[in-house]
This record gives sequence, structure tokens and C-alpha cells, in this order.
Amino acid sequence: MTCPFLEYRHADDEYEFDHERPYCAVQEEFVSPMKADICNDRFDFEHETDCEIYKAHVAEEEPELAAQDDD
Amino acid sequence: MSYQDYLDREKLILTVATTGGIHGKDANPNLPEQPEEIARQVAACEDLGAAIVHVHGRDEHGENDPTRLQAVNDAIREQCEDIVIQNTTGGQSPYENRVQGIRTEPYPEMASLDMGPFNRGEHIITEHTRHNIKRLAREMHEKGIKPELEVFNNGHLNEVHRLIEEDILDPPYYINIIFGSGTFSMPTPRNVINMIDNLPEESIFNLLATGPNQLPLTTLGMIMGGHVRVGMEDNLYYRQGEQAESNAQLVERTVAIANWLGRDLATPAEAREMLDI
Repeated sequence: MTCPFLEYRHADDEYEFDHERPYCAVQEEFVSPMKADICNDRFDFEHETDCEIYKAHVAEEEPELAAQDDD
Repeated sequence: MSYQDYLDREKLILTVATTGGIHGKDANPNLPEQPEEIARQVAACEDLGAAIVHVHGRDEHGENDPTRLQAVNDAIREQCEDIVIQNTTGGQSPYENRVQGIRTEPYPEMASLDMGPFNRGEHIITEHTRHNIKRLAREMHEKGIKPELEVFNNGHLNEVHRLIEEDILDPPYYINIIFGSGTFSMPTPRNVINMIDNLPEESIFNLLATGPNQLPLTTLGMIMGGHVRVGMEDNLYYRQGEQAESNAQLVERTVAIANWLGRDLATPAEAREMLDI
């Protein structure tokens, strides 16, 4: 399952691109090619455990969910 | 190699790394990602004197995709005269993906061979076990592909010595010494000189340094008789606060420095001869 905060966009406030690029809705910025592997849960990466931004966001916005993850 | 090689006016092999796998157009919109735009920038760099191009593949979103190496290789061959193609076998994906860099057709003349793992971000570590490094080295040897041995830190130089002792590599050993942040060697002139002092016999070194270290340390590499790699994979800025307009802009500056230092540039044919490709 890919990260629920991953989007693919053509543009943000700063840049506009010919192709859609991975975009993090939490950080509100485009994601580097390297980091996009984590967002997409490619290879052995999992956004729930490997993305510090996702983890911090969930801990702050959805503490109940974060607490369940700690069980 | 040493300062004496500089005094002897050893020709300089200039490699350009246009794209890489770390940064995207969101970091610098001038970074080329798609095959045709990569090839256009490579052709401009070849015109300026680059002899080797280090190649990565990206998908339509700008994300890493080794299956696109074939398209990038094809576009470079179409748009360039004679530049030596060096495909990556690095990155954070599994071995099955990374080996695609030596399975394009025709085979590339060179490929990178990471000498060990390194860290990225908080959770990424590249999967470069000794077993996988040897598998790649053996396949390159079978196919006549010259490896560029990527020494990301001092310990990786131990690994080069180990492979030489195991008779897996053929001389001259082309060793890329890498300086930057994180698990790379710390970017200081003293560390550059120490690294050069510890190179094995029959080796030729290339120097790569990231970000603001690219300009000063590649210049030092030229003075120490080595070869250099520049480009937007390693450095997105021309100077502090000013993004690079193109790879050619970075190559042009390095060519100018080489000229001032009296290092004539090796053509692709001369680079092949020097590296026994």
C-alpha cells in the first residue's frame, strides 16, 4: 500500500513540470526520486516504518493510530 | 598517481554525471531526466571535452528506473560522437534491478561498481554486500565492461585491495574517490591526499566531490595528477545561491581550470587507451 499522503502533481506554488511528479501532502513539497521508493513501498521499504515524516505526522495528528502501531 | 603526474602533464579524463538517482527537477529544473534531454546535455558536454558519461535512468515521473538505461544509452549514442558510456549499477534497489546497468545492448564500455553500502535519509541503506559486488564484478569481467570502483569512504578502499587480492579485477584499477556528507569520506584536502596515498599499485584515480566541494576538490584532484567527475548528479549549484543552468556549465568551468593548469583533455579514444577499455 502506498502512503496515503503521496500524490502525483504537475505543479506546486513554485514549479510546473511536463510530467506528474511525486508530491508529499504532509510536507507540501515534491519528493526526491530516492524518497519516492519509500512513499510507494517499493522494494523492502514501508512508509509506515521507514518514513520519518509520515510517522511524525501520524503521531501528531492521529495519536490513537500511532499508539496502535507501538503495540 | 601523484603530483608528478600533474607535472608530467598527464592527460585529464573528464567524466560528466548528468542526472544521478538522488535529485530531481524539483531540486533544480535544469537537471535532465528523460532520455532525449539527457542526451542533449551529454552531447553539449562532449563538445566541451567530456570523455565519459555516467548514466542513470528515470521513469516518466522522474523516479529511478534502471529499465530506462537502455533508452538513455540509445539516445546518447544517437546524439553523441564517441563518448564512453558508463552505466550505474548503484542505488538503493535490489540486485536484480541494479544489474540492468550491465545488461543493456550493446553492453556499456564501463559501469560503476560500488565498493560497499552507504546511508541515505533516516532509513535507507544501499544493498551492496560483498557477494553482490563480486557477482557484478565477475559479470563485468565476462562482458569486457571496465568497472569504475566507487570508493564512498576510506573503508571501501580496503574492499578494493581485497578484490585485487582475490584476482577479480584487471589493472589498471580505475578508482573513483568520493567526498561529501553522510557516509562519504569527509571532504577535506588532507583526506584527499591521504586517500591518494593509500591507493593500490597500478591504479588510476578519479575524484568526485558533492555540492560546494565539487569545485575545490576536483581542482585538487587535477593538481594531484588524477581525473575528475563533475555534473549535476553531484552538485546542483554553479556557485552559492545560484543553481547550475546545465551540466555543460559545470563542465565548461572544469575545462577552463584544466586549461589553466596545463592538463590537456583526453578524448574518448585516449581515455579508452589509458583505462585499457
